[in-house]
Amino acid sequence: MKCTRCKQKAVVALPSHNAGFCPSCYLEYFKRQVEKAIKAQNMFSFEDKILVAISGGKDSLALTLQLKELGYNVSGLHIDLNIPESSAEVRKTVEDFCTLQSIPLYVLEMKKEGLSIPEVKKRLSRPICSACGQIKRYHFNLFAKEKGFTVLATGHNLDDEVARLFANTLRWDIDYLSDQGPVLKEEQGFVKKVKPLYRLTEFETANYAFLKGINYSYKPCPFSKGASFTFYKKLIASLEQEQPGRKLNFYETFLKQGQKPFKLAASRKNSPLNACSRCGYPTSGEICGVCRIKELLAC
Amino acid sequence: MKVILQPEEKEIILPKIKSVRALLNKLNLYPTQALIIRNGELLTPDEKIYPKDTIIVRQITSRG
Repeated sequence: MKCTRCKQKAVVALPSHNAGFCPSCYLEYFKRQVEKAIKAQNMFSFEDKILVAISGGKDSLALTLQLKELGYNVSGLHIDLNIPESSAEVRKTVEDFCTLQSIPLYVLEMKKEGLSIPEVKKRLSRPICSACGQIKRYHFNLFAKEKGFTVLATGHNLDDEVARLFANTLRWDIDYLSDQGPVLKEEQGFVKKVKPLYRLTEFETANYAFLKGINYSYKPCPFSKGASFTFYKKLIASLEQEQPGRKLNFYETFLKQGQKPFKLAASRKNSPLNACSRCGYPTSGEICGVCRIKELLAC
Repeated sequence: MKVILQPEEKEIILPKIKSVRALLNKLNLYPTQALIIRNGELLTPDEKIYPKDTIIVRQITSRG
C-alpha cells in the first residue's frame, strides 16, 4: 500500500478516509485533525492555561504531546487510583513521560483523599467504573479551578464519544444527550472541558503513540472487565467495518442536528445546580456524589 | 511464525499465514482493532508475512 499523500510505503491504513499514510504524512494528518477539532469547536487559544487529565493510556499521552508540540501551555494531572497491579506501574509511565517531555505534572493520590478505588469497589453496590469516573471528574475539575487553569482537556477519542452517544441514545437520556459533545462550557462551578481527539479513533491515537515512540500503558484496568462501553465499542466496530466512516458521521451529525434540541429540552426541565453542603461542589442534590461515596466509606 | 498477543503477552505459533489480513482474520480481529508490528515497524493489512517473522498483535482498546 502506498501513502495517499507522498506515494512512499504506507504503514497506516485508514478505511474511513479511504487512505494510507507513511509515518511522516500520518503524523501530519493526526496534527491537522487535532487542529481542526480545536478550531471548529473553539476549544482554546495559546493564551489559555490547559490542564490535561493524564491516565497513562495512549490517548491522554498522545493528546498531551500533540498539544505541547503545537505550542500550547499544557500541564498534566494524573490521579493515582491505588488499584493493585495497575496504578503504580501506570503512574511511573506518566511520570517518566512528563519528565522526558518536560511537561509539568501534578499527581493526586486517591488513598490520601479517602477514596482508594478498591475500597470504593468493596462498599459500592453500583458498577465501579461509574463511581471511578465520577471521582476522577470531581478531582480534575476541583484541581483545575483551585490552580487557575482555564481549560481541562481529556483524551476522549471518537470511539469513546460514539460509544457514549450510542448508550445515551439507546436510553433517549435527555440530560446526558444534552451534555454530550467535545466542549462543555465553563459554568456553575465547572471549568471548561474539551476533547481535542474527538475526530480521531482509538486506532488512530494508537498509531500516533507508536510512531512517536510513546511508552504508554496498554494493559486494561483490572476493574473494567464487563464494562458496557466496551461492549458497545465492539458493536460499533462491526458497523464501522461494514460502513467505513459511519462513526465520525454519526457523531458529527449529532453535533450539527441533535445537540441543540437536547440542550433546549434539558434547559426547560432542569433547575440550576446547588453547592454541595459538605464540599461546595456543584450538584443537583444537597450532597454531591463524591461526598455520598465518602459517607458510605465512613460507615 | 511466532505471534505475540498484547496486552496478554501470550505467544502462539501460527503456521501457513501469508498476510497481515489473513492473520487478523485468524485472530477474529478487524484491521482497525490492533496494531500489527514486525521488527519495530507497523504493517498494513496487505503486507506479506513470513514463517521466520515474529509479529506483535497489540489490541488497541482503551484501558477503561
